[in-house]
Order: sequence, then C-alpha cells, then structure tokens
Amino acid sequence: MVKAVKGILVQCDESIKAIIEKIDKENGNTFILEALDDENLLISSGKINELKARLKSVLTDTVKEHEEPESNSDNNEMR
Amino acid sequence: MDGVDATVRGSVRTSSAAPPSLLTIILDTNPLSWSHLSSSLPLSAVLKTLLIFVNAHLAINHANQVAVLASHVDNVAWLYPTPDDGDASKQSSQTNGHTEVADEHRVVSNKYRPFLTIEKNISKNLRNLLTSDIPSAEALKSPPLLAGALSIALAYANLQLLKADPMTSDSASTGTGAVGAADLDAHTSALRTARSGHQFVSRILIVSVSQADLSSQYIGLMNSVFAAQRLNIPLDVLRIGERTAFLQQASDATSGVYLTYDPPNSTANGTNGAATASFSSATAGLLQTLMQGYFSDVAARKLLVMPGSAEVDFRAACFCHGKIVDLGGVCSVCLSIFCLPLEFTSCPTCQSPLRVPKSVTTKPVAFARRKKKKRKIGDGGRDSAAGTPVPN
Amino acid sequence: MSLSSAVLDYLQAQPGVTFKRLYLQPPTVLAVLRRMLPHLAKNIIMAMLFMPEPFLEEDLLTWIRAEARPQRDEAMTVLEQLHILTLVPEPPTPRAYRLNTAFASSLRQALMGGGSTNSFGVPADKDAPGPKRTVEELDKWARKQWEAILYYMVGSAEREYSREGNISSGTRKLLEMGEFIIMRGGRADITKGGFTFLLQEANAQVWTLLIVYLENSESVSSIHTKSKVIENQSKDIEQLQMDPVEMLSFLFMLGSLELGQDYNTESLTKTQFHMLEDLHDFGIVYHPPDARGRFYPTRLATTLTSSDASLLSNPNSSLSMNSGKGSIILETNHRIYTYTSSPLQIAVLALFANLNSCYPNLVSGKLTKKSIQRAVEKGITADQIIDYLRTHAHPQMLKNQPVLPPTVVDQIRLWQIEGDRMEATPGFLLKQFVNANEYRETAQYAENLGVLVWRNDREHMFFVTRIEQLQQYLAKRKTQAPRR
Repeated sequence: MVKAVKGILVQCDESIKAIIEKIDKENGNTFILEALDDENLLISSGKINELKARLKSVLTDTVKEHEEPESNSDNNEMR
Repeated sequence: MDGVDATVRGSVRTSSAAPPSLLTIILDTNPLSWSHLSSSLPLSAVLKTLLIFVNAHLAINHANQVAVLASHVDNVAWLYPTPDDGDASKQSSQTNGHTEVADEHRVVSNKYRPFLTIEKNISKNLRNLLTSDIPSAEALKSPPLLAGALSIALAYANLQLLKADPMTSDSASTGTGAVGAADLDAHTSALRTARSGHQFVSRILIVSVSQADLSSQYIGLMNSVFAAQRLNIPLDVLRIGERTAFLQQASDATSGVYLTYDPPNSTANGTNGAATASFSSATAGLLQTLMQGYFSDVAARKLLVMPGSAEVDFRAACFCHGKIVDLGGVCSVCLSIFCLPLEFTSCPTCQSPLRVPKSVTTKPVAFARRKKKKRKIGDGGRDSAAGTPVPN
Repeated sequence: MSLSSAVLDYLQAQPGVTFKRLYLQPPTVLAVLRRMLPHLAKNIIMAMLFMPEPFLEEDLLTWIRAEARPQRDEAMTVLEQLHILTLVPEPPTPRAYRLNTAFASSLRQALMGGGSTNSFGVPADKDAPGPKRTVEELDKWARKQWEAILYYMVGSAEREYSREGNISSGTRKLLEMGEFIIMRGGRADITKGGFTFLLQEANAQVWTLLIVYLENSESVSSIHTKSKVIENQSKDIEQLQMDPVEMLSFLFMLGSLELGQDYNTESLTKTQFHMLEDLHDFGIVYHPPDARGRFYPTRLATTLTSSDASLLSNPNSSLSMNSGKGSIILETNHRIYTYTSSPLQIAVLALFANLNSCYPNLVSGKLTKKSIQRAVEKGITADQIIDYLRTHAHPQMLKNQPVLPPTVVDQIRLWQIEGDRMEATPGFLLKQFVNANEYRETAQYAENLGVLVWRNDREHMFFVTRIEQLQQYLAKRKTQAPRR
C-alpha cells in the first residue's frame, strides 16, 4: 500500500545536512521526519521557519565572510 | 531568515506562453466558381464559417493577428486589414460604433469588439469587391491570381515579423542600400533565430475553389513556395472541389496541410438548404474541417499529428509553355525546366547556351538522360572538381 | 509569480459549482481560454467545439504526437481542473471526452455572436449628459491612481518618499490584507511580498491586487462602506454580499471592453456596481463623479486579459507606467545610470542598487554584492532584478544582444546563490510502493504532471508538490489492476 507523508523536502549539501541533523538532535528530534539520502531531508511542516532561523544563526557564527574591499561609493551613498 | 533558503527563487515558473501568430487567409473569390457551388456551399456561408475560424484564432491569444486577401478575377484585394488606411480605419470604425442605430447597439453589447470590427470590414470590402466591377467572361475563366496573392501575403507576413521584433527591423533599416545576397542571407538567418526564440509565427491558408489550371503561374507560385519555405511559413490549402497538383506540392514543400473538401451533395438539402438557417450540413462540415485540420499554428503543429495527403503529384510545368510535363529538360545553370524536344539553343531564362545532343532533342526516351550526364562529365568535370571545397 | 498562474491557482481552488456559473458568461470563457490554458489545450478545445459527438479518448491520443506526452498530460490536467473537459466513462461505449456544456455554448456564442446577455458591456448613449473623456485623460487617471498605490508602498520602505493620504483607506487595508505591508505602530512597513509586488510588471501587479481583493471580498466591502458613509445608500451596501462569481465575471468583462468607450452601468448587478467604486480607487475604471450612470474602463482594465508577452512586445500598449519608456543603462563594470526623475523609480532602484549621485534627470549608482544581497535578504530574487532591468532598459541598450551585459547578469545570480544553502519544498513524500512497476509508472505520471521534485529509484520513493491527482491516479490504477 502506498503511503503519503506530508512534510517539507529540504535539499541541501552534505555539510548543511550535518548542521541540520545537529540542530535536530539538540532539540529533541522534532525537526526531521525522515532522512532521505545524503542531500535530502523530510522536515515536519510547522518547523521550517524555526529551522531556517537556527540554521542562519549557526552559519553566521561559523562561516567567516571574506570581506572584500568595497568601492568608495559606499561612503557617499545618496541621502 | 530567508537568506539561506533558495526555494522561492528557484521555483519561479518559466512562462510557456505560445508565440503570437499571424494567420493570412487567401480566399479565391472567382464569381463563376462560386456560382457552381451556390446550391451546396454558397460563398456567404463559407465566409461566415471563415469568420468563426478567424475569431477562434484571435480568441486564443491576445496578440494573434489576421489578414485576409481576396484573389479575385483580375486583381488581388485586401479584405482585412484595409491597406490604405490600415490602422486608422480600425480606429475610426471602432469609435464610430456607437454612432450607429440602436439596433446595432444590441449587437455590440453581445459581441467581442475586435471580432465585430473584423467581420464588418471583411464583409464590407468583399461586397465592394464583388459589386464594383463586372469582369469579362474571358477573365472569369482565367485562373485566379494565386501567385500574386501569395507574394502579397508573404510580404505582409515578413513585414509583421519585422514589426514584432524590433531588433531585426533595426538592423534592416540601417542597411537600406542595395541588398546583396549576403545581406539577404543574414536577414533570413536573423529571422530564423528570431523564430527559434519564439517571437512570432505565421501561416497562410489558401481557400481554393476555381477549376482553372494554374500551370501558367507555375514559376511565380514556386518562387513563393520557396520563399515561404525559407521563412518557415506553412502554406495550408483547403481545396473545395477536385485536386490541383501545384497547390498540393506547395503545401507539401512547406509542410502545410492539404485537404480537399467535397460538400455533401446538394440535392439532399438543396430544397431547404438555401432558405433555412445559416448552418447547413455542408457548412458545419467545413467548420469542423477548419477547426480540427487547420487551426493549429506552427508551435502547436510540433505536438499534433497533422492530416496528411497520401500521395503528392510532383510533376512540374515547363517554363516555355507552362504545360505540365512528365519528362523534361533542365538547364544545368539555372535549373529552368523545358519540355522536350527543345526549341531553342540557349536557355531563355539565363541565356546560357544549351548544347544538347541531337539524340536527346529528337527522341525523348529514358536513356537520354544517361547520355546527357556523360556529356557533362566530359565537359565540366574539371570545373566542378575545382569548385568543391577541400575539407581540411 | 507568473500572473496567469496566480489567477489559475485562485480559480483551481474554487468549487465546481462556481465554474458552472462562471462559464455562463462569454467574456469569462474567452478570458479563461486566452489566459489560463496551455497552447495545446486551446487547440484541443477548438477541435472539439463544433464536434457533434464526444471526442473518443483513443482518437485524442492518436491525434497528439507520442513525443508530446508531457504537454498532453499538462493540457489535460488543466482542462480537467478547470472543469472544462470531462471524461465520460460509459461502459458499453469507449471512453470519450466531452466539453463542459456551459463552456462550449458560451464560447460558441462568443465566436459566432448572438445571445442577449449584454456580456460585452452596453455602451452608453452618445448624447448622455456629461463631458466625454479621452484616452489620454483615462491613461493619466489610471497612472495617477496606480502610482499612488506604488508610492504608498515604496514610501513605507523609504520614508522620504512617503506620501500618505493619496490612497483610500480601503486600498490601504487591502494592501495590508494581502500582506504587502504590515502596520507597525501606525506606520506601514513594506513586506517581502510587497517587494515582489513592486518589481512585477504592471499587469501582474493588477492581477495580484485583484486576487487579494477577491479573496477578501466580504471583509473589504464592509471596511470600504465604513470609510465611505458619505453615500445615502450605505445601509443597502452594508448588507450586500459580494458574490465572487459576479466579481470575477465583471473583471473578465472589463478585459473585453474597449478603451475610450464609456459604458452604461444599468446592466451591472449590485455587486458589480459596488465594485466600480473600489476599481475606481485602483484606477482600473473611471467612474465620473458627474455622471454616475457611466463608467470608462482604463488601460489597466482593457489589458487584464492580455498576456504578459504581448505587453512586452507591443510598446504602445505597454503598461510600464513607472517609467513610461525604458531608461536604465547598465554597464559591464556594474555601474548603472537611469534617466529619470520619478521618485518611484528611484526608490525601486534603491532597493537593489547603491545609488551615489542624483542629478535633475539622472541617477547613477552601482550594483554591488552588498546591495544585491541586501535585496535578496528582503526577499527579492535575482531574476526579478534582472527582469526589471531588462524591461526598463534604455532603447540604446536594446540594440545589444543580449540586452544586459552577461557578466553582470551572471554576477547578480552568483551573488544570490552564494547565500543559498538549502531549498525547502512543501509537499508529500510517497513511499512503500507494492512493486517496481507501480513505483515507476506513478513517478513517471507525477513527472509529466510537473509535480515531481525528487525521486530515489533505489528506495522507491519520490516527493511531489501536489497530491490530489496522484490520489486519483492511484485509485484509478487500483480499479484497473485486476483486469490485467
């Protein structure tokens, strides 16, 4: 019998998947419904926004953006 | 928050809108031919049917366009759009709409305005055409001016194509000088790329009824066919009555639709047909044929199985007399076709000398061609070898 | 969001009864045919329209080429969803398709004329009192009203352009309900949806707003009447139920009217007459205060049922009101120059560009990683930015092929995807298929429908965005299975 599960498919690369799994583990396994393969996860519908927020904060903490020298136009922005 | 999520951005649906399409109809309006059909399929009924077809074409896409040409006895006339005051007339007739009588009012509120405008214009122009001058009996029997009508239709289609794509029209206007073959090639290839980018597609529908033989217009007709082929415009032919070889060739060469429509015999409904409703079984059949066989434009034809004709008569007409020939001679320089035996020593089209062995001119038999080939190898073998590009 | 898909989504959510009533009006049928169907579906309808018998399924399948199967599935799906085509499964005879009777007769009526529904609008008497409006005046009116709405939204983003008071409170409420703006402490703040809205083409904007209007028709009508108690008959209106079918029919009818012509309001229903007021606020119609018995559709109305492609290709009918004519020049060094003095356009540009100098008729700036990513953060997509730049490109730019420098276009896209770490798609995961065959065919069907997002052939599961049709498909399979 075919079974249908309602949820949100999250497609990401493996490193992000690892972070999501970590977030899931720290929060009592409430996010992930099913790990489909290395790059795909099924997330429960109501949790996606919270997950995005958490992922974002983890990323800003860990990934250091390379600061590129902006042109001087930044300084005299139109007022 | 959505800085990390690409979904919204990724899933923007690509619009699969079909390109706007131009439908040009060439209607054979020879009064003599239509009078033969008047009991089963009168011109007025055909016109009504064509108008429904035109409306349907306009209905499916806001940008679709229509042009209707009448190939009359001794001239070709525009039925829509009216040429001299093309857009202006459209405007004025539209704004004049409400000045007409109250009865007209009721019609207006129940009909989509663009449809109404086209119907009015076409019937008005056709009435003018049919009542304006009475052609001579001889002229009536002469073939309709199909080659001329086709050239006008092709020119119009090309114009609309240029208008639809400002890029190509820009480059065309800059090159106003003498147009060489290279320019022409660049132009057509530009048109092709524009077409592959789904800018604008067009097709031509020929409604042909006249019995007359078209072989005198063979050259003009075939030139138009090649132009249409180049522009990727299918020539659809709806033939009412018996087959015609050249129109079938034309539609075959441009991958158009060729169908013959035989109105059901008039004796059955002839008694009530003319008097009763606008829809006899003959017109209903015609309408269904149009809607299913001819409705799809170039874009849709890629998806549909189009009605095809089983066999095509590929015979050509000779350039010298305009007769249909089974076996003929071909000028090796310009590819003009002549009936055998040859009557001249140089090609009347390109003036190159035609040296044909006696045996060919006198006895047109099958093995004559082999002899001709041999002669060619002997004469021009060197030249053609030199002309072949060497692959590197 | 493509606009026809927006309307389509709205329609698909309607119950079958609604369709039955909708299809009684020829203009509605015409608009649905023109705007919401794939090209192949239009051809199928036209072939069937004058067919005396139902179209045999077998014949239909042979008519459409085998390699066009995805298009066929797509066309049939839409046709069935909109209740235009139904499969008649009469056991003794072969399966055949039949057109919805109301749809077919309305379409025939539209093509052939006749009937007495007054569905294409009753033009006003020529000698009715009151001055006539020209097309220019109507254009001016429509632009003024519509830009006021856009200004209001931009103004809520960039305070210096704020010009509140120009738009009615009903419209303001509507923008809030559509989640284009959020009221925070008496101030309006533009939302992500609002940004998306701003960068759309005018025609798409109109539809987006109208759909919000339709969805909220009941609450809008009550809000509106409260704000407009000037009228004596306000009591009447307050009890009025806005009927979505009548509203939709009216909108589709507006799309078939003629610009510059005034129409009589007498043939309108109460709901439709009431809508005139709101549409007047949006600038979609002009309802002259000195001649209440007439109304003029503006260009915004008459192009409602045109397709976006035709708007782009025909500069005369173009509704790119924010600029009139294209004025943006983008150079390969990411510098951007715009010949404009319109605060609206400057504000829109400032959403994704770093503007650094402003002259009376020219603004110049630069697209930077920061400015683009700032826009992306707000929910604007790179494609929207690129589309905006392309549609508003200066005529001089249009001579280039491609119009925008590819390096810049690529860079904008790269800047966007740099931040993208994941994609989330709501939907359903299907698994535990009985056998490989069932899995393969169902997945193939889902793929043809265009709902398949991800599949895993080893584990026999796949993920789809919509499930309704798959459920039908699986049920159908079940009933067919024993026969094999």
